[in-house]
Amino acid sequence: MAAKPAPKGLDLDRVRALLLDSATVGLAVAAGAEGPILLCNDAFQALFPAVAEAEAALRLVDIVPGTADPAVLERLAAGDRHTAEVEVKLGRRRLVIAVEISPAIGHADGELMIQCQNVSKLKELEYMIDSYSKMIERQNRDLAKEKERVERLLLNIMPRRVYEEWREFGITTPERFDDATVLLLDFVGFTEMSVAHDPPKLIAELNDIFTSFDRIVEEFGCERLKTIGDAYLAASGLPEPNPEHARNIARAALRLVRYLERRNAISEVRWNCRIGISSKPVIGSVVGTQKYVYDIFGPGVNLASRLEPLCGPMQILLDDRTHELLAGELACASLGSQTIRGFGEQHIYRLEGTTSGERP
Amino acid sequence: MISRIVLSFYDRVLDSDVLAPYFEHVDMPVLIDHQTKFIAYLTGGPASISDEALRLAHANRGIDRAAFEEMRRLLAETLEEHGLEPADVDSVMAEIDRRAGLVVTR
Repeated sequence: MAAKPAPKGLDLDRVRALLLDSATVGLAVAAGAEGPILLCNDAFQALFPAVAEAEAALRLVDIVPGTADPAVLERLAAGDRHTAEVEVKLGRRRLVIAVEISPAIGHADGELMIQCQNVSKLKELEYMIDSYSKMIERQNRDLAKEKERVERLLLNIMPRRVYEEWREFGITTPERFDDATVLLLDFVGFTEMSVAHDPPKLIAELNDIFTSFDRIVEEFGCERLKTIGDAYLAASGLPEPNPEHARNIARAALRLVRYLERRNAISEVRWNCRIGISSKPVIGSVVGTQKYVYDIFGPGVNLASRLEPLCGPMQILLDDRTHELLAGELACASLGSQTIRGFGEQHIYRLEGTTSGERP
Repeated sequence: MISRIVLSFYDRVLDSDVLAPYFEHVDMPVLIDHQTKFIAYLTGGPASISDEALRLAHANRGIDRAAFEEMRRLLAETLEEHGLEPADVDSVMAEIDRRAGLVVTR
C-alpha cells in the first residue's frame, strides 16, 4: 500500500510513535538474532522490563533463547517466520509470552521484527483443561474397573451368554435344554458334623471345598449354578450346547470324589459326599427382578436330587439316560430298578470310574 | 463457571502477600493442576482426595494458621463473587474447616 502524503502540519513520526506505543502487542526491532534490540514499544518493555533496565543493550537471543540456532537463522534468512513461547517471571507471576520473529520488511541488513503477546491466560486455561482431562481419564479408568468388577460378580450368578442377553435387552428368556446333564452333590451327615456348629470354621471349610469344586467343574466344561448350604449344583450342556455334557459331568463327579478323598487324608475335618446325576430336560432362566439369580428347574434337577440321597458315602448315582450317553466309556454298576417319587420306576447306575479302572 | 472460579482463585492466591511465597517456585502447570483439582474436589467434580493424601500433600509445606485463614478468605470471596449461594459457600467453608488440621502444620 502506497503511503499517502501527510496532511499539512501533522507530525507523522509522532503519530507513528503514538501508534506503536498504544498497541497492546509488544513490538520490537533487533539487529539480527545476536544483535541488540534497536527499538521497542511500551507493551514490549512491559513484558521484558530488562530491555530498559539493563545497562548494555539486550540482544534478541537473551530474550528469546534459541533464536541463534542455525535452523532458525536459516528459516529467517529465507524470509520465514519463527515462533516460540518464552516464560518470563514478572514480579511473582510467571508469564508465558508468545513470540513471533520475522525479517523486517524493507531492511536488507538482517534486522528482525519481533511481535509478542502475553498468552498466560490461554496457557492457564490449557493447563486447566489438561488437568480436567486427566481427572476424567482417571475417573473413566476407575469406572471401567468398577464395571469389570460388577461384570465378574454377575458372571458368578449367571452364565456369560445369559448375562450378555440380559445386558443387551434387560431381560432373559427361559430356555429349555433337552441335552444337558445336571449334578447335585451334598455332604453326608452335614448337620451332625461338629464343624457345622462352628460357623467361621464351617464357612472356611465350605469356601475352600467349593472353590476347588468350581475349578474342577470348569476344567471339565461344566458350570456351577449355585450352592445351597452344603449342596452344590452344576451342569453341562447349558446354556451353551455341549455334546459331551454327560461325559463332562461324569468325569467331573469322579474328580470331585477323588479331590475329597485326598483332602480327607490330610484334613482334620472329613467330608463325605453323595452325588446324583441326571440327563433329563431342564429349563434355565434368570429368576427375580430386583435380586437376580440364574437357576434351573425341571425333571433333570428333580431326578438328580432324588438320586443323591440314595447314594452311599462318596458314591455317584446316574439315571439311565446319563448311563446311555456314557456309552460304556466309564465303568458303571447297575443297581436295578427303583421307584422314585415323581418318576416311577427308574433304572439306576453307580458310576465306578474309567473302564480301565483308573480315575480321571 | 468452574473454570472462571479456578482462574480467579489462582489470580487471588498469586496476588496475596501471605500465600504467593508458598507458590513462588511452583510451575504454572503444577499450580493450575493443584487449583483445578482443589476446586473440583470442593464442588463435587471428578476428583476425590482422601484425608491421608491431603495430609501428605501438605506435610512439608510449613503452612501456618495465617496462611490457611488467608486461603479460606480468598476462596470464600471468589465463590461469593461468582454468585454461589451463601448457604453453599458456608457448606464449602465447613468442609475446608473440617480439614484444617490436615493442612496446618506450624
